[in-house]
Amino acid sequence: MQQIELGHYLALSSVIFGLGAFGFLVRRNVLVQLMSIELMLNSVNLMLVGCNRFLPDNHAGQVFAFFVIAVAAAEASVGLAIVISLFRLKKTVHSDQADSLRH
Amino acid sequence: MSTAGIVLFYVFGSLALASAVGTIALPSPIRAAMSLLAHIVSLSGLFLLLHAHLLAALQVLVYAGAVVVLFIFVIMLIGPVSAPPHGERGKLIKACSGATILAVSALLAYSLYPVRAPLESLGNCTAAEGAECDQFGGVLAFSKSLFVGAVVPFELIAVLLTVAIVGAVAVARGRTAAESRTLSIKLHEKGKVSVAEEAREHVLATQLTVPPPPERGL
Amino acid sequence: MAEKALLGIVLFPLLGAIAIGLFGRRAGRSAVHSIAVLSVAASFGLALLAFAELLRMRLDQGKELAAISFTAYEWFTLTWNQRPIGVPVRFVMDALSGVMTLVITGIGLLIHIYSTGYMSEEPSYARFFAYLNLFTGSMLILVLGSNLPLMFVGWEGVGLCSYLLIGFWYENTSYAAAGRKAFVANRIGDFGVLLGMLLLAVASNSFELSAINAVAEQRPNVFTGAFSLGPRGMPYWVVPGISFGTVATLLLFLGCTGKSAQLPLYVWLPDAMAGPTPVSALIHAATMVTAGVYLICRLSPVFALAPVTMALITTLGALTALLGASVGLVQNQLKKILAYSTVSQLGFMFAAVGCGAFAAGFMHVYTHAFFKACLFLGAGSVMHAVGAHGDADIRQLGGLRRYMPLTRATFLVSCCAIAGVPLFSGFFSKDEIFVGALSAGSYFSFAPWLGHAVFAALVLAATMTAFYMFRLYFLTFSGEYRGGPVHEAELGHEHVAHEPHESPASITVPLIILGVGAVVAGYVWIGIAHFEPWVTWLAPALGSIGAEHPHNAALIALASGLAAAAVGIGLATLFYYRKSDAPERLATQFRGVHRLLLDAWRVDQLYDRTILAVSRFLARASNVLDVYVIDVLTTVLPTQIVRAVSFLFTRMQTGLVHAYGAVMAFGLLALVLHFVVPHGDPEIIGDPQGMKVELSASAGLGYEYRWDFDSDGTFDTPWSADRNATRDFTDADFVRFAVVFEGASYGAHPRTLTVAPKESLPVSASAVTRALTSAQISADEFGPNWQHGEDNRLPQINADQDGLLITPRGARVRKDGTLQASEKPVRVARGESVTIGFARLTVSGYARPRVQVRNVFGIQRTQSVGVVVPKVARRLTAQVAAARAGVP
Repeated sequence: MQQIELGHYLALSSVIFGLGAFGFLVRRNVLVQLMSIELMLNSVNLMLVGCNRFLPDNHAGQVFAFFVIAVAAAEASVGLAIVISLFRLKKTVHSDQADSLRH
Repeated sequence: MSTAGIVLFYVFGSLALASAVGTIALPSPIRAAMSLLAHIVSLSGLFLLLHAHLLAALQVLVYAGAVVVLFIFVIMLIGPVSAPPHGERGKLIKACSGATILAVSALLAYSLYPVRAPLESLGNCTAAEGAECDQFGGVLAFSKSLFVGAVVPFELIAVLLTVAIVGAVAVARGRTAAESRTLSIKLHEKGKVSVAEEAREHVLATQLTVPPPPERGL
Repeated sequence: MAEKALLGIVLFPLLGAIAIGLFGRRAGRSAVHSIAVLSVAASFGLALLAFAELLRMRLDQGKELAAISFTAYEWFTLTWNQRPIGVPVRFVMDALSGVMTLVITGIGLLIHIYSTGYMSEEPSYARFFAYLNLFTGSMLILVLGSNLPLMFVGWEGVGLCSYLLIGFWYENTSYAAAGRKAFVANRIGDFGVLLGMLLLAVASNSFELSAINAVAEQRPNVFTGAFSLGPRGMPYWVVPGISFGTVATLLLFLGCTGKSAQLPLYVWLPDAMAGPTPVSALIHAATMVTAGVYLICRLSPVFALAPVTMALITTLGALTALLGASVGLVQNQLKKILAYSTVSQLGFMFAAVGCGAFAAGFMHVYTHAFFKACLFLGAGSVMHAVGAHGDADIRQLGGLRRYMPLTRATFLVSCCAIAGVPLFSGFFSKDEIFVGALSAGSYFSFAPWLGHAVFAALVLAATMTAFYMFRLYFLTFSGEYRGGPVHEAELGHEHVAHEPHESPASITVPLIILGVGAVVAGYVWIGIAHFEPWVTWLAPALGSIGAEHPHNAALIALASGLAAAAVGIGLATLFYYRKSDAPERLATQFRGVHRLLLDAWRVDQLYDRTILAVSRFLARASNVLDVYVIDVLTTVLPTQIVRAVSFLFTRMQTGLVHAYGAVMAFGLLALVLHFVVPHGDPEIIGDPQGMKVELSASAGLGYEYRWDFDSDGTFDTPWSADRNATRDFTDADFVRFAVVFEGASYGAHPRTLTVAPKESLPVSASAVTRALTSAQISADEFGPNWQHGEDNRLPQINADQDGLLITPRGARVRKDGTLQASEKPVRVARGESVTIGFARLTVSGYARPRVQVRNVFGIQRTQSVGVVVPKVARRLTAQVAAARAGVP
């Protein structure tokens, strides 16, 4: 069988990124949008770790991925807090209803 | 890489793809969260294939163990989701942007697929060394890079997480009952508050956001 | 010692003006007029000293052209034709300017003293004396300046002071308008003076009057040669039939018509009577208006070389004399009559100098100063006595001889002088003018009758002058007092006539002095007895037309002068001394002519209908342009654009996250496309080392590159992911020649042109042609003196396989320092350079390497870049110098 090359991992990462972005743009449920953001962050993590495997001089890729995970956690918590506030205000989690900032 | 590695790559890879599709496609948020969990676990498997042992464990611990759980808590709190009152808006924009992003990812994937790099073989820990050996991606080596090479960002991340906690708590809580009572007493004492104003003040106090303007016909 | 006096002459009035201007109000009246009078008195004293010195130099040492000069400092320097022309602040007094200075300071002093009495009730006392002193200072600068720019400073200064003083009572809008009119008319003339001045400086390479006159005397062909414009060696226009001197003097004469109130710019002088009477006396009788005559006399050698201009001067002078006299016949305002009389007398002066009689014209300047100043001051005295404001109507005066005997005596003396009564000063100067006109003769080769025609006109004008002046005298001083001016406040009431009285001493003493001057001033040149110290004194300073007096000229002149005076005075006596109704009958019979003369030939109305109408039209058109074009473009259009754009932007803020996300997605697509779609954009990295050049293409996602350096269609490198390439260029790689051209014109930068073998580099004659025909090089970039003598042919630059071939033809082409022959082509190979004139041409090779870029999808794109090798730096001149010195 063909060896798994760096290109495979990069391609997989791009596809998952695309799926995550697609989900963010198309779905209207704010929670699913947040989950799509997590998908995108994960795809970036995959690419970082994959590139690090093929350039193993240092652990830069994995360290970076570590920080991405930490930041993603922080961002998820704050984002969910905002979702809760939005729900309290509008009684819905539909992103189309969250248009108070229109002109 | 051995045959098993190749097979495992395809297994985990397809699982990751399938669960990603599930996350974005399943209508119920709980099911989408479960799908996200499966995705994270499959990604952890891919990390193991890539010699990032500690990171794989951390991924499951933090992501699957904390973030997804948080999602589920919030989904439970919110309860069942009702359909939007006026149907969906912006179907055209949705379609265009969706198509765009699919095109972008396809372009990227096609352009990146031919990238080739030499693969060095990295040793694994022997049974005698245990998990403390200095292999690539292991606990010892990874920790050295993290706590010695990147200690400043590490500390800053700690600060960031503290800030995030504080921010989340501040955003998510409203005013307690005692606080809203004190607020309305203060406004009464000023003697300039009418009933409607007081009601508005109350709403303001609890909501932390500006009340919406009157509904226009959409 | 006398040199420093010159500085003092000019400086004292100016300092007085500054002192009075700054501190006059607070200092009080006596301080003000003391400073004013003393400063002019000091100037007069110093002028006498300097004149005495001049006299001594002439008599003792027999110096022909005696002159005292004082240089203060170097004002500025211009460069013309690579030669510097310095303009120092230098004052020179010679025979001509000496007399003029004495007149200015002497009569100025008298008028200052007069003003202390006349203007005693004026609230803006200090301002008046400040302006008066400033005027005196400017006039002295004009007269004593040794070069044209300095004289122009004085010229403008007197124009300015004239404006300030005419519009002295500026609260009255019509007086202010009169001041403006004077200034504008003067300004039109100043334009002519400026251009004339520059032409003279260009011709004689100096601004100094003495230098210009020297050129006119020693190298007259400079001024009699044809008029051409353009830098030396490249005449743009050559106008046949008009000489350089004619153009320059015509422009200067335009200035004289403005300053000295000739046709067509005299219209400001009658209106200038709006100013106080001393102003009229000083500026419009004695000094400023004679500046034009002074200019012509100063530059008389130049003017003598331009008969066309002189013909024009004398014609206009005669016409002005007639015009002024004819209008003066019927006017009823005292000062207006004197104003038109001034216009007329100035016409006499110009007619004289136009016929080449510079000394005669200048003598009339001198005598006119005395009697006209006396007339104006006498008019002021009359007006002061009867309580008139502005001007006095002579029909309401009369019989003043009883009340004001001194004024009457001096006025009578001056009237006799102006009328040409024998033994008074005016008689002698008019006589010499007539002689001059009759002697012009063959100087006007194209119109030998001109002198006689002018003479006839002047005699007629003299008759009219005598008539109207004595009409004025009789109506004012003889008969019975008719009550004086009617004041507004008394209209409708019984008119109470208050008795006029003689004026105080401060007014009458200057009148007496001037009256005496009006009698004796003329005795410096008695033509009949051939007693002419005036001519001898001035002769070295004036040019000459070489005219000869016909033998009976003196006799004819004398007879005509006497006849004119007799007829004029006789008619005036008939009509006005003995009561007669002839004037009224004539007026009714020739009503149309009478009205025309009363309206001063309606010249003002003519100007208003024609020139001023055009000006008003232009003003309106500019307003329309401003409001509907410029305002729309700069105000309305941008605001509308801002509105539209902001409308767009606000509509974009929907508040919906998915819309924002969509925009981000589109941006991401564009970014990815930029890296996926192949683009090459090759460029040169760093500095080329000799013939070795490093090239680099732009990076992209999955790109591969290959290069073609020698433009032969085949690629020299295989496909590789390396985006840099280095090449040692050889002659086989070049497709064209790059010519680096360093022009020698003003502000030129080196530029690179390319030419292929079998092509040529077009050279055009001038930058304009180059712009129009998009030629590459123009001849004006070669610098001055790029031609061989008169050969105007342009060099031809062709290219062939080995380099450039330049055929110099008319240009000076040097290769390695040696001048090349005109018809043999000069070979310039790659790396060599050549100079044409002062410009340098260096030949380099020009290659056009291409890069082809391929992305992962197989889409290819080819782009190229131009490379000039060897790259020519500004250090090339150092290289060439080293090559000449033999360093390898």
